[in-house]
Amino acid sequence: MSEHGSTQIDNARIEEMLKQKKRMRIFLSICASCGFCADSCFLYRNYKDPRYMPSYKAINSLGKLFKRKRKVTHQMLEEMSDLIYGRCVMCRRCYCPLGIDISSMISWARTICRTQGAYERYDIDPMGRTKKAAVKI
Amino acid sequence: MLWISFIVFIAGLVFQIYKIFSITVKKEAPSLILEDADNKRLAKLIEYLKKTVSTVNLKGTILGTQPHVALLSFIFHVCIIITPFFVLAHNILLFESWRFKLYSFSELTTDILTIVFLSCAALFLIRRVFIRTVRAVSGIYDYLLLLITAAPFITGFLAYHQLFKYETIIIIHILFGELMLIAVGLTKLGHMIFFFFVRLNIGSEYSFRGGSRSWS
Repeated sequence: MSEHGSTQIDNARIEEMLKQKKRMRIFLSICASCGFCADSCFLYRNYKDPRYMPSYKAINSLGKLFKRKRKVTHQMLEEMSDLIYGRCVMCRRCYCPLGIDISSMISWARTICRTQGAYERYDIDPMGRTKKAAVKI
Repeated sequence: MLWISFIVFIAGLVFQIYKIFSITVKKEAPSLILEDADNKRLAKLIEYLKKTVSTVNLKGTILGTQPHVALLSFIFHVCIIITPFFVLAHNILLFESWRFKLYSFSELTTDILTIVFLSCAALFLIRRVFIRTVRAVSGIYDYLLLLITAAPFITGFLAYHQLFKYETIIIIHILFGELMLIAVGLTKLGHMIFFFFVRLNIGSEYSFRGGSRSWS
């Protein structure tokens, strides 16, 4: 994803950001892992791959950050950003029977990843080459 | 012992309610749909429900996507709430200590409800083990909580039929029941409170009413 991002992870910053939004921890503690959110994600309905489930994305990004406070590695963030940037389009259509706002969790995980230099590079194609600008400046 | 667990249970419920209030704020602007803003009265609510249920609004919810599992889940939750309240033995104990009792089911009804509950729990377990989407997000914690939920019913069933040594089983039954009550306040069984508060009180696409609060 981000070859040019810094490899230094500011764990204190991550911890501070995790504390900033109280509701994220409560959402994670309430999630009953029922799997009903799968059918509301159109990416899941298309690919039928559990990695596209909204709760899978939230648990494996924000949940992992909560679990591994101060021990986050760059590789973990890369995997996470692959999950939350590559497998989510932020359409906010996730439906949770318990009423958890899943998209806000994914969005917050994206924000945290972005502060650590793990983000989607829209100027690099999947082969790692720099894309040419569509409009010449 | 019983009192400790009841106190922890009530404190847990209050704690859950406090948590939800602390992460939500009162909506600032009035609801966009003005007729939904005034839905405090029952008649309004029924009218709103009629409107919602009759349209395609339910298509995105579990009633539309997985109706069988929704039915299963509904039966599971109804059984888990009503069975402990209306068991004859519980009511006799209540009457002996406080001279007060609720309506109680016949023993056969309770037995049927327990078996229905346990089969629902077994189906949930099968679903958790064999369906890929659910397995992907389940950890050991989820299996443990399902066990904690089902254990009071299993032991109660065994105790009523006196299949093993009664005294041992009844003590295990009491301990598991207390453990479940404690777990409501502290673990993901807190969705008992969270569900009603969030789905009824927070304005969102899938809330049942207009909602008067929103996430902070």
